[in-house]
Amino acid sequence: MLAKRKRSITGEIKLSEANLNIDKLSNPTLTKKKKTSLWKIFKSEALFTIGSTPIIWQIIFFYIPLLILVATSLVKTSTSGQFIGLTLEHFYPLLNTTYLTIIFNSFGLSLVTTFLCLIIGFPLAYFIAFNGGRLKNVLLFLLLIPFWTNFILHIYAWFFVLEKHGFLNNLLLDLGLISSPLHFLNSTFSVLVMMVYFYLPFMVLPIFSSLERFNPLLLEASYDLGANHRQTLQKILLPLTLSAIRAGIFLVYIPSFGEFVIPELMGGDRNFFVGNVISLFILGEKTGPVGIAFTVLSTLCLLISLFFINRFFQYLSKKITGEA
Amino acid sequence: MLNAFKKLRPQLFPTLFLFLVFFFLYLPIIILLVFSFNTREFPAPWEGFSLKWYYELFHTPEIWVAFFNSCIVGIASTFICLTLAVFMIYFLASGGKIGKFIPIFYGNLIIPETVLAVGLLSYFSLMHIPLGLLTIIVAHTLVGLGFTIPILYIRYRELDPKIFEASQTLGASHKQTFTKISLPLMTPALIATGLVTFILSFDDFILAYFTSGSSLTLSLYLLSSIRYGISPIINALASILLIITCTLVFLFFSLKTKTRIL
Repeated sequence: MLAKRKRSITGEIKLSEANLNIDKLSNPTLTKKKKTSLWKIFKSEALFTIGSTPIIWQIIFFYIPLLILVATSLVKTSTSGQFIGLTLEHFYPLLNTTYLTIIFNSFGLSLVTTFLCLIIGFPLAYFIAFNGGRLKNVLLFLLLIPFWTNFILHIYAWFFVLEKHGFLNNLLLDLGLISSPLHFLNSTFSVLVMMVYFYLPFMVLPIFSSLERFNPLLLEASYDLGANHRQTLQKILLPLTLSAIRAGIFLVYIPSFGEFVIPELMGGDRNFFVGNVISLFILGEKTGPVGIAFTVLSTLCLLISLFFINRFFQYLSKKITGEA
Repeated sequence: MLNAFKKLRPQLFPTLFLFLVFFFLYLPIIILLVFSFNTREFPAPWEGFSLKWYYELFHTPEIWVAFFNSCIVGIASTFICLTLAVFMIYFLASGGKIGKFIPIFYGNLIIPETVLAVGLLSYFSLMHIPLGLLTIIVAHTLVGLGFTIPILYIRYRELDPKIFEASQTLGASHKQTFTKISLPLMTPALIATGLVTFILSFDDFILAYFTSGSSLTLSLYLLSSIRYGISPIINALASILLIITCTLVFLFFSLKTKTRIL
C-alpha cells in the first residue's frame, strides 16, 4: 500500500517535471526574458543601494570620523599642514602622572557609579517587576519621566536640594541634626548623587525588561523545592538575568566614563575627569593633535577595560551554568 | 493585629525601598516645580503663589529660539533615522540579508558620546562643513541609529515568516508585501523608536556642545543660564518641559502595549 503510494507520488513528480521541460522548450518568450534580466540586475542593484544606506551613513559619519581621530593622533605634519610621516610624539606629553591620574579618576568615577547603580537598580527593577502588582506600569511610567527630561534640568534641580539654603540643609537644621548648614555642593558626594540619579534608569530598564519576561513560577518552584533566598538568587535569578545586568552595566559604565558636565557643575574644580580634559583641550586651548591623542588614549583604555569586563561576564556565566 | 503585621512584612521592605527610591527621583523635580510658583527668587523661602515667572518665560524670546532649534534638530534627526530604518525594512522585505552588518551599529553604544563628538568636530572641520544645526542633526542621527537599527532588525526577525510566505504565495509583489504587510506590522515599533530618538536628541547635551558652532539648542541655553545662577524662569520652563515629557512618555506607553522596545 505504502510502496504503491510512494510510486504514485514519484510518478506525479516525474510528470510535472516533464511538463516543466515541455514548458521550457516551447516557451517563445525565453529570448525576451534575457533582455529583461538587465533591468532585473539594475533593480537588484537599486535594492542593494537602498538596503545599504543605513550602513553607508554609519560608515561616513561614525567610522570615518573615528578613523580621522586615530589618524590625526598618529600623523606628523609640517607647519604648513604637509604630511611628513607617522609619529607617536603627540602621545609623549600625555605620559606623565597628571594625565594618567585623570584617566584613573575617570575609571574610579565610572566604576563607583556603575556599582551604586547596580546595587540600587537591581532591587528596584526586581520590586517593580514582582511587587509592583497593579502599580507596575505606573511605577515604570514614573521611572521614565525623570529619565526623559532634559539632563541639564536634573543638575539644576539638584542645586535646589543641595544648596547652602536648600532643602536638605533646611531639613537637617529643622530636625536638629546639624547646627550650621553643610556644604554639599562642589564635593565628591554631590557628583556621585547626581551621577547615580542620572544613570540609574539606564541600569533599571534592561534588568526590568528581562525580569518582566521571567516566569515568577520559577521562583516559586525554587522555594517549594526547599531553596532559600540566597540559593534562589544564585541559581535561578542571576543566571537568567545575567545578560541584562551586563547590558545595564555597559549602559552606565561607558557614558559615565566620558561624563564631563556633572563633575564640572557639581564637583567644582577639585577633580578632573577625562571628559573635562577633552572638552578643555578641544574647545579651549588650541593644542590640536595632543588633545586628540588624549581622546584616543582614553578611549583605548576604556575599550581595554570593556574587554576585561566582558571577559569577566563570560567567565561568570560559564561558572554559574557550570555549577547548575 | 500581629498576624496582619506578619502578613504585611514581606511586602514592607519592597514598599519602603520603592518609596525611598522614588522619593530620591522626584524630590528635586517637585522642589523645582514648587519654586516656579514662588513670588520671590530662590534663596528666599516660600512667600506666595504667582504666575509671574511663567509670564516672563513667554516674554523671553531667546528661550523660544533655543526651544524651536531643539525641535527642528529632534524632528530632522528622527526623520532621517526612521527613513534609513524604513529603507532597511524594505530591503529585508524584498528578501535581502543584512544580519551580518548589524554589529557595526553597536559601535554607537560602545564609543562614549564625548569621543564621538570630538571625532565629528575634527571631521567637519577637515571637510570644511560649517558647524550649525545641520551638524547637530547629523550627530544625533548616529545616536538614533545605534539603537533604532538593531531593535527594528530584531523586531522584524521576530515577525512570523509565514505571513510573508502567504503574501507571496497569494501573488503579491515585493512592493505590495512591503506596503501591505511589513510596514503596517512594523509601524508601532517604528513610532516607538522614533519617539525615543526624538527625546534623546531633544535632551542631548554633549554632542550639541561640540558640534553646534554658534547655534543654541535648549540644553546649551540651559547650561549657559545655569552658569549665571538660579533663575525662576528656568523653573517655569522646567514645568512646561515636564508636561511635554509626560505626554511623550504616555504616548510611548500606549504604544508599548503593542510593541516592546525596552
